[in-house]
Amino acid sequence: MPTRAPRRIAITGLRTFLGGRLAERLSSIGPDVHVLGLDLRKPWGLPSSVAFHEIDLTHPTADATLADLLRKEEIEAVVHLAFRREPTADIDADHELETVGSLHLFAACQAAGVRRVVLGSTTMVYGAWPDNPNYLTEDHPLRGHPHAHNVANRVEVEALAADFARRNPDRRVTVLRPCWIMGPTHMDAVVRYFSRSVVPTLLGHDPLLQFVHEDDCLRAFERAVRGPRSGTFNVVGRDVLPLSTILRTAGKRTLPVPAPLLYRLRYYPSHAQTGDRPEGFYDYLRYLWVADGSRGFEVLGEPRYSTREAWMSFVSSRALRQYR
Amino acid sequence: MDPEHPGKDPSGAEPSGPDALLDEALAGLSREIRSRVAGTDVEGIDWFGLFDELRERTRMLGMRERSGETDEFGMDPELLRRARPLFQALCESYFRVEVSGLGAVPEGPVLFVANRSGLLPYDGLVLAHIVAEARGEEARPRPLVADWLITLPFAQPTLTRLGAVRACRENAERLLRSGRSVAAFPEGLKGAGKVFRDRYRLQRFGRGGVVRLGLETGLPIVPVAIVGAEEAHPVLFKVESLARAVGLPFVPVTPTFPWLGPLGALPLPARWSIRFGDPVDVGALGAGMTDDELLVSRLNERLRATIQAMVDTGRRARSGVFR
Repeated sequence: MPTRAPRRIAITGLRTFLGGRLAERLSSIGPDVHVLGLDLRKPWGLPSSVAFHEIDLTHPTADATLADLLRKEEIEAVVHLAFRREPTADIDADHELETVGSLHLFAACQAAGVRRVVLGSTTMVYGAWPDNPNYLTEDHPLRGHPHAHNVANRVEVEALAADFARRNPDRRVTVLRPCWIMGPTHMDAVVRYFSRSVVPTLLGHDPLLQFVHEDDCLRAFERAVRGPRSGTFNVVGRDVLPLSTILRTAGKRTLPVPAPLLYRLRYYPSHAQTGDRPEGFYDYLRYLWVADGSRGFEVLGEPRYSTREAWMSFVSSRALRQYR
Repeated sequence: MDPEHPGKDPSGAEPSGPDALLDEALAGLSREIRSRVAGTDVEGIDWFGLFDELRERTRMLGMRERSGETDEFGMDPELLRRARPLFQALCESYFRVEVSGLGAVPEGPVLFVANRSGLLPYDGLVLAHIVAEARGEEARPRPLVADWLITLPFAQPTLTRLGAVRACRENAERLLRSGRSVAAFPEGLKGAGKVFRDRYRLQRFGRGGVVRLGLETGLPIVPVAIVGAEEAHPVLFKVESLARAVGLPFVPVTPTFPWLGPLGALPLPARWSIRFGDPVDVGALGAGMTDDELLVSRLNERLRATIQAMVDTGRRARSGVFR
């Protein structure tokens, strides 16, 4: 098995935050690294060093098309990041893209003989449950959340990845599970929640949370693509902080809502657009779901930002934008 | 006391935490005002922006009763420092806790095992306080608390910040391996839900998790008998039909509880005694013995019998419940 770092890399979901930034990062390594970005449409402002190919992963023949493309481009490593940045109300479409799209991708990788696959998952797949231990290791069962359809999709995709790894013991499959990503430029449903001026919380609950800085997260992905080791790793920042401390350091006002009341509001305005019941998000602000990052630190490198520093980096960038 | 910051404040006035924060906030505010006023006439000042800035900065002061960082299990040293006089009064004047046998407890991480009583974990918090006072903050044992209590609204943030940790093998092992002590109450919910006529009758010790932990980590187990705590919250009977609606495993009825409302959560002023037994070194048997189910259950039962005997001695030694 050659241990040379792969030079021809394909990235799905080029228009996502991680996809786009990782493509830039990998293509800037040197002229011998060729990065092929895949997505539905070409993103605006794509650096010329990144090649682009249009593909719809949900198309019924996407697997064959993709396999041909991967073979023609002699792709050595695929980074799979074609997931919704945030859940949409169209649960079926999300399932088509995230789960069926991944099914097509793994089939194509199998057929094209791709040596290395890196899957972007999330620590949310462990689920927020009252009986979680304080630190979830990579071997903890993936229980997901019954009311978060995007998390459920990711659990299915992880099962597909595990299946792919079992059928192809000679290929390297790496699954990275970042926790909530914070930083000056990252934006998703979680960041939007935290950037409100009045933040709704659950009355009487104050769980410990962890963040990873976007740069640390991208570096972990880069090492996973180029480095010699494979496996499943949590990608988290050092330390944990209670939600109340996180919000207070940013000087945010909170709106504590009793959980039974919030969970009864089925069409709570900001959650109607996710298609999920409020539990799907707010349970993650109710119970512990902190992941143990020590295995990832050892293999993918120590993070440069702690949870607090990642949060402050987000807050300070936001304040600059707010006050010009 | 707050640490001094020599040289930071030349006038030497009030270098303590909250005041320093206030000074900093005010200095920042005046800088802000100056930067906004410079070069504009009075009508041009952005009063709304200024007001927002003032609001933001005063809100930062909300941090002063908590520390910016917690440990990896969410314990807040600032809150513990502030709660210390309260615990001191609770132990010395209210429960008048008598401590014996603490000298025999070995240095370094140990596994305290005690009898459990009452819905709220006063026993665990008092035990942690007493050990921390005698041996220093690093030796503070972390009370292990059942799931339903550590996720209970309002109890959860406070208990976590006071150092309680959800009772499960992973957490206990992580704490012990990082050199911290742990206080386990293996009776669990059965212990917490004892009615008054069953007081001081120790319930089954779960499935031997404590013994297994001792075998695996090789750390000494210290049996602890807490006498008095079981009279502090005498549960007359339990209402189970209401339990689901409230989110508790059962609703206790004590002489004070539903009748006095939240005040009923306060314990009665029973006189407590806490005795620490001789450490049991199960680690000498070796980590491989955890598969020997019979050995584990025998050790488990022996541990329970030891604590039961210590509790009985403690009850005989006292002159009355409240005196």
